[in-house]
Amino acid sequence: MAVGIGFRRRLDFLLLVIAILSAPVLSDLILSKVERQIDLTSQIARISSTIKAENDGSSSVSEILLAIPELQAKNLAYLTARVIEGKGKARTSGLALTVEPANPKGMPPALSFYSIVLPKPLANGDSVTLDVLAAFTHSLRPFPEKITQADIHLVLFQDTGHYLSPYPVKVQSLAVKLPQARIESYTKLDNTKTLGSEIKYGPYENLPPFSYSPIAIHFEANQAFAVARELVREIEISHWGNVQVTEHYDIVHGGAMSKGEFSRLDYQSKPQIRGASAFKHLVAKLPPRAHSIYYRDAIGNISTSHVRGDSKKTEILIEPRYPLFGGWRTAFTIGYGLPLHDFVFESEGKRFLNISFGSPMHDIVTDSITLKVVLPEGSKYFSVSTPFAVQQEEEIKMSHLDIFGRPVVVLKKANVVPEHNQFFQVYYKFNALAMLMEPFMLITGIFFLFVTCIVYVHVDLSISKSSASYLAKLQWDEVRATVQQIQNIINQCLSTHEKLEASLRDLSRTGDVQACKAARKAADGLLKELSKELKPLIAFLQSTPPAAHILPKVEELVAKERELQERLMAKHSTIVDSYEKKLGGKETENRVASVQQKIVALRQDIEDLMEYIDEI
Amino acid sequence: QLRLSVNAARDFTLRIQRQNRASPHSPSPPPAAAAMASKPVTAPVPITWYPTLAVFMLSIGLLITASFFIYEATSSRKTRSLPKELTTGALASFFLGFGSLFLLLASGVYV
Repeated sequence: MAVGIGFRRRLDFLLLVIAILSAPVLSDLILSKVERQIDLTSQIARISSTIKAENDGSSSVSEILLAIPELQAKNLAYLTARVIEGKGKARTSGLALTVEPANPKGMPPALSFYSIVLPKPLANGDSVTLDVLAAFTHSLRPFPEKITQADIHLVLFQDTGHYLSPYPVKVQSLAVKLPQARIESYTKLDNTKTLGSEIKYGPYENLPPFSYSPIAIHFEANQAFAVARELVREIEISHWGNVQVTEHYDIVHGGAMSKGEFSRLDYQSKPQIRGASAFKHLVAKLPPRAHSIYYRDAIGNISTSHVRGDSKKTEILIEPRYPLFGGWRTAFTIGYGLPLHDFVFESEGKRFLNISFGSPMHDIVTDSITLKVVLPEGSKYFSVSTPFAVQQEEEIKMSHLDIFGRPVVVLKKANVVPEHNQFFQVYYKFNALAMLMEPFMLITGIFFLFVTCIVYVHVDLSISKSSASYLAKLQWDEVRATVQQIQNIINQCLSTHEKLEASLRDLSRTGDVQACKAARKAADGLLKELSKELKPLIAFLQSTPPAAHILPKVEELVAKERELQERLMAKHSTIVDSYEKKLGGKETENRVASVQQKIVALRQDIEDLMEYIDEI
Repeated sequence: QLRLSVNAARDFTLRIQRQNRASPHSPSPPPAAAAMASKPVTAPVPITWYPTLAVFMLSIGLLITASFFIYEATSSRKTRSLPKELTTGALASFFLGFGSLFLLLASGVYV
């Protein structure tokens, strides 16, 4: 081996060898075929093993144990197992099986165990094929740990060449897939060969349980080591039609730390040589029909982003303000809105939100995620169902138009990989009428303003109620009110005159005398009523002293109006007469001429008087 | 700058193509949702109506507010009637309240 294992690892190896020698033999399961594939093409090490287990003993077996060295188990983010049926082209994988951490007795130390619960117990002589996928974060160790801008980024990956298992393995093989063909060094066990960017170990036959042979692979890795140290994802549901997702990222480049100076000129002129380990872009895949996407940080909006959407997804490519080299950090916020009907459903009286759990970014490792689901105000009885274990809390958030706040369900998880990006549900009960509280609040607020106006107009705020000026003002207000009423009545009289004139014009058009007479009668009645109303008002004005200077004008106005009335009536009857007698147009006009002149003059006078009174 | 942005766009397309070929872990809605006969929750009023509703309700509300203030200004202490004032105020605040709610919703503040 070109690279030493290191003291710590040697100690573990020693412990394991001792453990192997003192290990008990487990229940009579034999793994007849194990094929492992370690995918190191991204920063997450994904190990997928196809295990064919045979029950050689007498009792039926209902669970299979997986062993992982404890140092590796710390980095284990995702572990899932499925049963595979059929061979070759007809392979189908069943539903995911339950995998629980187990603590069997009498096992060697420094190992973590997980037990896969089989769907039906494996009887004697039967065999079952499982597909186990394990994802490990932070297991590609940068070596050397500090590099300059121009150095090559090399990482070290350590694992076991023989499959570590509490059961004996008959045939096993291992294939390691690397991102590039450049391999610095790797452990050579027997039966090792390299093909381009793949290293194949095996096949090895008939190995005892707990066999462990450490391998270390040192290779060049230039893929983006984007690690989100903290992600706070807030999902706010509004039943008016929107689910708003806001994600706050704190991203660090998880590869070898950058030392020395950064030359922007070198980076931009030769990015492949000076800065191959840095990454510039982050790609996120959002659900389709995402709208109002924004990307900003503490400084403000970041405009270097592109959005491309189609009917299946919306892809955004964001470019932080600077490229990220090893150890460099950046923090930003991404937000977007999603249509309500895509994510919130209703069944059996309860509503539920069905949305994906993790970050939508491609191939990102999240060290700790806090997911907050903000439910609308007035929601009760919430429950969460996730496909994996999370920590749950509750809190309250005050948002737009809230009276007592919205309940928030907080889910926390550590060590999250893109495999965790599955759908989870939050159930809650919500009464649709509670949505009306929001417009009701607005309406009461505005009504309060109107009530204030009314109160202000009605209330009498003068300090002394018996001073002379106050009383004078009161009286003058009354006088003005009365004059206004008189004006109203005069206006009504004038409009009645207009109606009369209109009836005369109709007469000249249609020749219908009866209609004209009827109009005359109606006008008569109306005018009589109006003059009756006028009397008490005039009397009041006569009695109050402050009205003295206005009284003559008002009386003049009333008198003129009466005169106008009389003349108009006279004219009306003359015209009706002439129609009945079937006199010609000229004759009628002659008779009416003088009256007409006076009428016009009176009208003008009345208008002037009204204006004068208005101005007072 | 233009060349850089063109390169970025090309990078984007290449990266997306690469990602689409090698992304085994894209979430898909679980079949349980369909099996439970759950129906999607939609907004009480179609979202496309929000701006129109906002404009109409606000204009009607403002017209009634104008008539309220004209009544206040032109009536005297004797001729004022409190029920008429209160009803006009209530009607105006109803329309203005809903109008401002739809205005908030139409401008993206989903309250």
